[in-house]
Amino acid sequence: MKKILVADDEMSIRLLYSEELKEEGYDVYLAANGREAMEIVDKVPLDLVILDIKMPEMDGIEALRQIKEKRPGLPVVLSTAYGEYKQDFATWASDEYLVKSSDLEDLKSIVKRYLKE
Amino acid sequence: MVSDRAAFLTQMVEVLTSTVSFGERLNNMVHLLARNLKVDLALYFGLDKAKETLVLNISSAGPVPPHLRVEFPLGQGLVGETAGTRKMKVAHRHQPGIPAANAALEKLHPAYQTLAAFPVADDNYLYGTLILVDREDRSFTPTERQGVQLACLMLAGTLRQAIVQEEAKKRIAELSVLFEVGKALSSTMELDELLERIVSTTAKVITARGAALHIMDAVSSEPLVSSRYGQIPPECPALPKMGPGAGGAGEPPHFQGQSPDTKGLMHYCLAVPLTFKGQLQGTLGVYDKFTPSGEFVPFDPENRQLLYTMAGVIVNAIENALTYQQVEDLAERNERMVKNLTALQEISQVMLTTVQEDRLLEILLQGLTLEQGLGFDRAVVLQVDEAAQTLKGAKGARRPARPIEAPNNKALLLPPPAELPVAEWEIPLRADQGPLALAVLKKHPYHHTQTLKEPVLPVVLKGKFPAQEFFVVPLVVKDRATGVIVVDNQASGRPLETEPLHVLQMLATQAALVLENAHLYSTIEANNRELLLIRERMLESDRLAALSSLASGMAHEIRNPLVSIGGFARRIAKLVEPNSPLRGYVEVIQEEVTRLEKLLREILDFTGENLSYYGDHDLAKLIEDTLILVQRDLDANKIKVVKEYASLPRLHCDDRQMKQVFYNLFQNASQAMPHGGTLTIRTASMEKPDGLYEAAAVTDTGGGIPMEVLHNIFNPFFSTKDYGTGLGLAIAQRIVSRHYGQIEVNNEMGKGVTFIVTLPVAKYCLVKDAGHDAVPASALKAPKGGR
Repeated sequence: MKKILVADDEMSIRLLYSEELKEEGYDVYLAANGREAMEIVDKVPLDLVILDIKMPEMDGIEALRQIKEKRPGLPVVLSTAYGEYKQDFATWASDEYLVKSSDLEDLKSIVKRYLKE
Repeated sequence: MVSDRAAFLTQMVEVLTSTVSFGERLNNMVHLLARNLKVDLALYFGLDKAKETLVLNISSAGPVPPHLRVEFPLGQGLVGETAGTRKMKVAHRHQPGIPAANAALEKLHPAYQTLAAFPVADDNYLYGTLILVDREDRSFTPTERQGVQLACLMLAGTLRQAIVQEEAKKRIAELSVLFEVGKALSSTMELDELLERIVSTTAKVITARGAALHIMDAVSSEPLVSSRYGQIPPECPALPKMGPGAGGAGEPPHFQGQSPDTKGLMHYCLAVPLTFKGQLQGTLGVYDKFTPSGEFVPFDPENRQLLYTMAGVIVNAIENALTYQQVEDLAERNERMVKNLTALQEISQVMLTTVQEDRLLEILLQGLTLEQGLGFDRAVVLQVDEAAQTLKGAKGARRPARPIEAPNNKALLLPPPAELPVAEWEIPLRADQGPLALAVLKKHPYHHTQTLKEPVLPVVLKGKFPAQEFFVVPLVVKDRATGVIVVDNQASGRPLETEPLHVLQMLATQAALVLENAHLYSTIEANNRELLLIRERMLESDRLAALSSLASGMAHEIRNPLVSIGGFARRIAKLVEPNSPLRGYVEVIQEEVTRLEKLLREILDFTGENLSYYGDHDLAKLIEDTLILVQRDLDANKIKVVKEYASLPRLHCDDRQMKQVFYNLFQNASQAMPHGGTLTIRTASMEKPDGLYEAAAVTDTGGGIPMEVLHNIFNPFFSTKDYGTGLGLAIAQRIVSRHYGQIEVNNEMGKGVTFIVTLPVAKYCLVKDAGHDAVPASALKAPKGGR
């Protein structure tokens, strides 16, 4: 089973994403901030990471940088309420940039594209 | 004896007081003495003018023929001795020494025995000697002696009276001549006429056939004025030279000459110097004195004396006339000066009432053309166009046909009633473009006249400004000519004098300053307006930014819960039975969330999120869009454009800023090739350690950038051009670095320069772009700390 990490400080979003992705047949790990996310990245052989940007303790951009340093090949999808971060060069290292929506079809199709095998 | 004596004295008084001429009386007296004393001869020897010699004047024997004009030097012979001692003396031939000393008398009376000599003198003067000659050896009784002595005394009185009379007569004649001259001299003050009067009067008074007067500069001897009257013989020098003592030692300088003409007729000339105070000298000469019968005679010393006297009077008169003329000239000039300066002051004051350039020009033109101003017929102001390097007509005016009836300061404020159309005047600022351009280039005023050869009217003005004569004065501020004032008096034909040129220069100095101030003021005003506008816009955008940030903050806060609500509603919808009434409720929640999300996007679009123009753009399209903007310049410089675009992923960038970068590069390239060339634009992708980049190379053939300025080209405000801000490359570099890219220069001296812009590619752009081979993700490495 493909392992996906969802990092978001909003509990409701974590719940929503995990429900939906589990339903799609993925093994879902959850983190409330970047620091928690990095702990999981270090322990679990993940296949994809979904990162919120604005999070306490460690934000998604720093988490993205550390992930790309430690595991350059691990796809990272930025999922955020803010479109502006797209101008930040630091986000350019992400594989996808997605503005959050209640319709999760876009997210699911992106995940599917990266984890199709 | 007593009665004899009384009769003798009575006869003497009768003779001396008779009304016949003086010479006649003298003659009668001598005869009377000879007869009464019964001597053979009575002789009268008169002392000559030199008071050295006694000459026989009268003889009782009758008129003295020239060969008998016996003379004795003073102190010699009985005649001279008596005159010298002023004592009567009787001598006899038998006395020793007497015949020898008086041998000359033997011519008159060969057989004389007795000589009795009596001085004719009064207390002051000696006039001559009376001598009685007789063949008898006789003595004279005291009574006889007393009688003769008395007669001699009376004779002396008569002689003195005659001399005084003659002198008085001469004096009167002279005075009347001087009166004539004075009358002539004071009758008019015009110098030319005065000189004419002087020469004609001089000639008439001396009874000369001609007269001439010359006045010249004492230093340069350059003749200044001369006047002639009557006939001046060509044989005589017109301007005789008179050194000091030309007339002999001790005499005041004069010239006296005579020369025969071709027919042998003698001509005479007399001239005296005119000595003025200051830098003038002159001569007054008379030619050919004539007698009533018309024959020419030499001038005598009395004529010379008269000429001297007249010369003195003339010098005074001429000096007076000159002084008067100078004073009059000075007064007139002063009056004009005061008028001009008053006008100047008024114009200057009125010019201070405004800072509008156009109004100032109007006031200036009014001042130049108004009668109560400087009163020129026409006036034109031209201003320098620095960019075009030309002189352009700003405003022109004609003198109003009728004078304006208003106080000067009011009249100056009126708009010029007759404007000259000068807007089309445009003169290149080159030395060959005539006096107007020269006035600017040399910052020097010109007084143009038709005869002045060098600065000619430029072609553009031919026919438009047909002036024989005009003034051009530059407007100079801080050693920089900003324009010129041109004035003329063509319509009225009055000559232009140098004095108004000075006033005009003063006015030009003032006008230049005031115009410059007005110009600065309007620049400041425009800048101020712009600043105010910018400030307003900034305030506006600040307000908007505050509102936006509030709205965007709220929108983001709402977005997360909305995502959850909507997301879970969708999940519920999947679980609810198709027929359950709950399904409808859930669908309502879903729809409402979708509606709210759409609204949020719209709000964010309007506010913060999309204030910048970041997006995913195709590099080649950006370049193509920018080329359209500079196409005109490229065409104008005949620049060929070569394009080599590679197929590349999109760039995440602000397209407007990126276009600015290419626009600046293209502009520089175009300006580097003003005479044509090739602009080559290539794009390519580049692998760098930190990821994939796209590069655009812009190459010109403009000869390259000199080494000494190469290190400066990205500095703000550095420019090798006379125009532009020098910010082009600085801005380009700033924009590129904001996009995490770089600008590099590849300079090839003598050939051209290549600017290479490299920009990083966002990884998600690679994934999205179908058809492009994805670069391995490992190639992309996020830079540290970038945010």
